[in-house]
Amino acid sequence: MSELRSQALADAAADQWKILPSGLTVLVQPMPGYSGTHVIYATRFGSIDRDFRLNGREVHLPAGVAHFLEHKMFEDQDGDAFAKFAKTGANANAFTSFDRTCYLFTATQQLDESLDVLLGMVGHPYFTEQTIAKEQGIIGQEIKMYDDSADWRLITGLCECLYHSHPIRSDIAGTCESIAEITPKMLYDCCEAFYAPGNMVLAAAGNITMEQILAACERHGLMELRPEERVQRLWAEEPMTLAATEKRIRMPVSKPCFGLGFKETPLAPDDLRSELLYDLILCCVCGGMSPLYRRLYDSGLTNPGFGGEVLRVDGCCCILFTGESDEPDTVKQMLLGEIERVRREGIDREVFTLCKNEKYGQLIENLENVEDSASQMADFALSGQTVVQQIEALAALTADDADAALQHILQPARMAMMYIEPDGTADLPEADDEETEDEE
Amino acid sequence: MKRTEIAPGVHLLWDPAPKFNRCRISIHFAFPAKRETATAHALLPLVMERGYADCPDMTQMTKTLARLYGADLTVDARPFGANHNLCVSATGIKDRFALEGEPLTREYAGLALGTAFHPAFVGGVFDPEAVGIEKQMLRKALEDEVNEKRIYCQRQANREFFGDSPAGIRQEGYLEEVDALTPEALTAAYREMLETAQIELLILGCEEAETEQVKDALLRELSAVERRPAPLCGNMAMPRREPARKVECFDTVQAKLCMLFTLGEPMRPDQIAAVRLAMALYGGSVTSRLFLNVRERDHLCYYCASSFQSFTGSMAVNSGVEHADAARAEAAILKELDDLRNGPITDEELEDCRLSLLSGMAGIEDSLGGIETWYYMEVLRGSGLQTPDEARAALRAVTKEDVRAILRQLSLSVSYLLTREEGTADV
Repeated sequence: MSELRSQALADAAADQWKILPSGLTVLVQPMPGYSGTHVIYATRFGSIDRDFRLNGREVHLPAGVAHFLEHKMFEDQDGDAFAKFAKTGANANAFTSFDRTCYLFTATQQLDESLDVLLGMVGHPYFTEQTIAKEQGIIGQEIKMYDDSADWRLITGLCECLYHSHPIRSDIAGTCESIAEITPKMLYDCCEAFYAPGNMVLAAAGNITMEQILAACERHGLMELRPEERVQRLWAEEPMTLAATEKRIRMPVSKPCFGLGFKETPLAPDDLRSELLYDLILCCVCGGMSPLYRRLYDSGLTNPGFGGEVLRVDGCCCILFTGESDEPDTVKQMLLGEIERVRREGIDREVFTLCKNEKYGQLIENLENVEDSASQMADFALSGQTVVQQIEALAALTADDADAALQHILQPARMAMMYIEPDGTADLPEADDEETEDEE
Repeated sequence: MKRTEIAPGVHLLWDPAPKFNRCRISIHFAFPAKRETATAHALLPLVMERGYADCPDMTQMTKTLARLYGADLTVDARPFGANHNLCVSATGIKDRFALEGEPLTREYAGLALGTAFHPAFVGGVFDPEAVGIEKQMLRKALEDEVNEKRIYCQRQANREFFGDSPAGIRQEGYLEEVDALTPEALTAAYREMLETAQIELLILGCEEAETEQVKDALLRELSAVERRPAPLCGNMAMPRREPARKVECFDTVQAKLCMLFTLGEPMRPDQIAAVRLAMALYGGSVTSRLFLNVRERDHLCYYCASSFQSFTGSMAVNSGVEHADAARAEAAILKELDDLRNGPITDEELEDCRLSLLSGMAGIEDSLGGIETWYYMEVLRGSGLQTPDEARAALRAVTKEDVRAILRQLSLSVSYLLTREEGTADV
């Protein structure tokens, strides 16, 4: 990786970075030859931000407020932002994760107008009891859709086992009951606390220049100094013990699904290096090049999608393995055995280097299209880093680093297991035929 | 994009696409689907993707790809109406990003051609051990289909809709046939594909000299095959019928509804622009009637969207609904269709939808995947190679009456509902 700073790479990752007087971080990657532009306006506010102090006053939120607010942000006094984007031809969307909310659009024309819609809708929230009540039905449907997803239930079930009080235990969208508690005041408090420019990032990639972005920011008052909100996130103490070692549920799935979770020491917010290192360790332990993956694959003990991932947010870091298997306990023993073997014998040097190669290729690939490029910039910027810094951090990682990290992560004493068992309804062989007349 | 015939039934599609960081070499094999070999062709990509003669071991293959900076090698099977398509594709970063100056593009070509033409045979047939393992994987995938309720509902609806027609052949394979598949049968299906398929070599992001080398290498491979390319099936459509309503019970939190409509006659290539606008207006966009009225205004569905399949002249409306609201949702979906056919369409909504489509089409050539999908679909439609710009011009000319004409042609054939049994309590 000594040649990382090659001209080709420097050109591909040539983003421009500015912090405006308002505190907003702006990143632009002009991509010559592209027709489209992808813009992301992101705030460090997600489902885990439930308790905070705002200008000396404590605020406590029910589960699901960040996601609810994301939905409501598309609505203001003079209409629906989707309708406004429709006038510019932009394709708009938004999403909420555990620790961030992102508003985005892709456009090939009327870019300035689309930027005005985006910056205007996020800058001018408007909520009433009536508009909140209306949204509860739609979000209730979304919650139910996720309740039917075995993959998602594995993640949320493992978080419930691993954590006593950290808000990662709650679903991002909350529950039908928790979102029924939401009031306009809560939403305005969240806007004041977390939608301040100093807590946000605006990233754009494609057929766009920094001048265009700055002009849009100027139109929306983002070049002016803003008073800094005094916000302090409040966290309940989270011990390193587990809330539960095991959870079992039944669902309409054809095969049993399982998840193994390991509770790890939380990482500092700007510690992307450890997250990257843990990813490489997972690649070596159970990725496609590992002997374990091959044994599991050849014996048919898991599905090809079996693998591990790192989940880290403020105050929480865990490593989760999920898959399908008729013999989840056998897979668990094989995984634990392999972790112990690698811990004892050391990481395979060849595989470690190949995993780094893969990561490097992935970072280059993400600079190729406008969506991935803007997303990657925004993701790293929210942690105070750039793409180039991430590539340099990758280059500096060694197998010795991985060996050292493995001495304290993935410890069986901090492991929980989640089982989803078929409830039997997914095995019905044929549909019940009910031929009826057309209602038209 | 340039397309040239380089041998009977073999074409080259090439775009140097210099702005991208990666290049892509794909070999598409398209041929009419056959019921008797459907399961073999479903298994074929799984076995081929494991490795090839020069690199037969799956783990070694993964390491080879990682050495090439995480290059992708995929063998992917997809149905296109009554035709089956197998695509071998290698994608990776361009040579200029290689840290040690490796000739990456040459290696991608070797991987793609090796995988397509030199499988890992043992005794003249696919390696029986690999076949055995991948049969388990296929079996598992077919059994697991039911885990993804949205896809399962759509597939069940398709099965009812297409019945025994060629487009109804289950190209994902038949569960009850998996165990009996032999390496010999798989090898025969593979050889038949090499001999009869229409082949499209798609090269994106490579310079002319590199492209010529890959083309010549492909022709050398084909010189060893007794080629007898078969014509593809044209566009088709299911006949109109009395709507069938099917209900299947699962104890899910949310019900799934899939409604399938037929155009009654094969879609003509000149209808595609009107079809695109009709879908955007009815249920294919966030300014559509289904999104704005059924989802946002009536809160009947969390998602409710329409899509059109041009090869089969069929439209699907998929939605996720409250169990108790399924009948109301179906009625609302049909009402919105009727309103568009017979009621007013405002200039504003039409132009909003048109603008959104035009904007999306302008960005198609911003990704390798977008370019490949667009032009290969154009090839399969067999109506000349329309560029996204030409398609945008055609879209600008579509009138309200053109849209209405398409929607009026659609009639409901199947409504498939996954719901729980009456009386089951909320979770």
